Amino acid sequence: MTAESALRFEALEVQAEQIMGIFARAGYERVAPSFIQPADIFLDCIGEALRNRTYVFTDPDGQELCLRPDLTIPACRIYLERNPHADAPARYAYNGPAFRYQAEPDALRPREFRQAGIENFGAADREQADAEVLALILDAVRLAGLTGFEIRCGDLGLFRALLSALPIPARWQDRLLHSFWRPGAFQSVLRRLASPPAALPDPAIAALAERLDPADPLAAEQEVAAFLDAKALTLLGARNLGEITTRLLSAAADMREQPLSGHVVTLVEDYLKISGTPDAALAAIAALSKDAGIDLAAPLAVCRRRQVLLREADIDTNALHFDADFGRQFEYYSGFVFQIELPGRGIAGQIAGGGRYDGLLASIGAERDAPAIGSAIHTERLLASKGGAR
Amino acid sequence: MSAEKLILGVPSKGRLMEQTADYFAARGLAFARTGHERGYRGEIAGFDDVEIAYLSASEIARHLQLGRIHLGVTGEDLIREHIADADQRCDFVAKLGFGRADVVVAVPECWIDVATVADLEEAAAIFYREHGRRLRVATKYMNLTRHFFARAGLVSYRLVESLGATEGTPAAQTAEIIVDITTTGTTLRANHLKILADGLILRSEACLVASRVAARPDAVRVAEARIRTQLAQFGATATIGADGEAPPRARASAGKRKRPG
Repeated sequence: MTAESALRFEALEVQAEQIMGIFARAGYERVAPSFIQPADIFLDCIGEALRNRTYVFTDPDGQELCLRPDLTIPACRIYLERNPHADAPARYAYNGPAFRYQAEPDALRPREFRQAGIENFGAADREQADAEVLALILDAVRLAGLTGFEIRCGDLGLFRALLSALPIPARWQDRLLHSFWRPGAFQSVLRRLASPPAALPDPAIAALAERLDPADPLAAEQEVAAFLDAKALTLLGARNLGEITTRLLSAAADMREQPLSGHVVTLVEDYLKISGTPDAALAAIAALSKDAGIDLAAPLAVCRRRQVLLREADIDTNALHFDADFGRQFEYYSGFVFQIELPGRGIAGQIAGGGRYDGLLASIGAERDAPAIGSAIHTERLLASKGGAR
Repeated sequence: MSAEKLILGVPSKGRLMEQTADYFAARGLAFARTGHERGYRGEIAGFDDVEIAYLSASEIARHLQLGRIHLGVTGEDLIREHIADADQRCDFVAKLGFGRADVVVAVPECWIDVATVADLEEAAAIFYREHGRRLRVATKYMNLTRHFFARAGLVSYRLVESLGATEGTPAAQTAEIIVDITTTGTTLRANHLKILADGLILRSEACLVASRVAARPDAVRVAEARIRTQLAQFGATATIGADGEAPPRARASAGKRKRPG
């Protein structure tokens, strides 16, 4: 689509420049991330869905590279180059192509498409930054003439908070969070945790796991090392003794643990079904937490404060649609997530999306987690959708 | 390559070539090389309308996919690896009973906490937290591995293409686990690896496969019917599917397929 007609490309660029103007006036510095990126970082961070759709290749030096499948991680890399300690605030804007494999590319699913977007790093007031980014993206799509759209949103931080408030062992919370991105897998993990655990298949290993002392990980490691020695098993590869011991300890702990109660399972399932205006959804979550006797006051207060800030930024929060399980498509999202979509248009109607990703900078090399939120507009869909045109 | 002849792709070297020749010879279809001894063309005595193309085992899969050969003998592993929609593009005519090998997921024996693919997913999540990167899976079966792990719900891994000595990659620290073929498991054990309890991806053996996409002029259809009939006399036409079960479609379509015009 991008290069098919010069006229179309020009219209696309005119629109993009208008959008970039809005971003610039709001203090977002224009950056031009490289098209070609190191494959490792992308493949490790973007999650399964996008991973299989990234064009990866090897250069003559044998280095693994990829064509950027989105611009968020490339923008993050620029930020880290300039701020190795990830400790200074920065606002970046970009406009350019991204590349994703499509089994059958067509106008709706091009393998090469353009994104205009912003990334906001290091803002200590997270809710303020959330409101700022959504407001700017709304300004941009409105200026481009988009009407009749809906805004879907969610908050992955709330789900995390719910899990940690429930009587669920930390390692089970990790398992649930790990599978959260794949609803089918999440359901089966939830069901597995609610039934009695299966014993380790090898009785000798089961006995070893029983013997390990969870309070003394070092002694436990030595015991595992002795077991491996006795069985003449050499430690091979990068996975270390500590990791093996951790899992044996957790298997032993699982055997001693009560399975999740039906009550907890229902609560998690009910939570994920909550849907409505943000105010109504937050009220429903508050009611659910009260019934369950758990304390979600702090995370709910954060969400309510964001609501206030969104309204102060002239956003009609009653026009937002909150889904508790929204935001399962990108593994790096960690908090507020949103999408601007035209109802009934399917994938062509997904005009813009974004969210908070406070853990991403650390996972690509920053010394610590740093606040970050960004959003990108699919400019071709935006252009195609205006004035009811297909 | 004559347009009016049926082209049968046969492995060009090694045990697989010998066993294929023996298999067909035992069923009255004796191969003979045409031209000089090291040529890559051949014929079957008494079948003037059949030409043999000697190709590498993986090339046979690609040629079947593209319809450049009508029939081919190669491992089911290679067919399913190289042809994404193998059951649509190909008709599995017969399992030949040799070239047996299992495609399996194997991990270091010292991973006493990992016995199943579900264990692997949890180990992989911890590995990611510890090391800041995904577990690497070395294999030449990139597609089979991807599909198997997707079905099993394993996501925290990265594929590393390995075109030889795959079983050595964990020791060399270029991968943590492998997907490879094994017959007896001896090589895996020698490299301190074990197969996961539910880590069998495919039970493979040499197969006679027909390309559904190859053009079939009348002469070719006649030739194919003769070969199939000849093999059928020896009870070798059991059709097979992805899980070793006979898909009714594969059996029915062999006779029904018509060329338009």
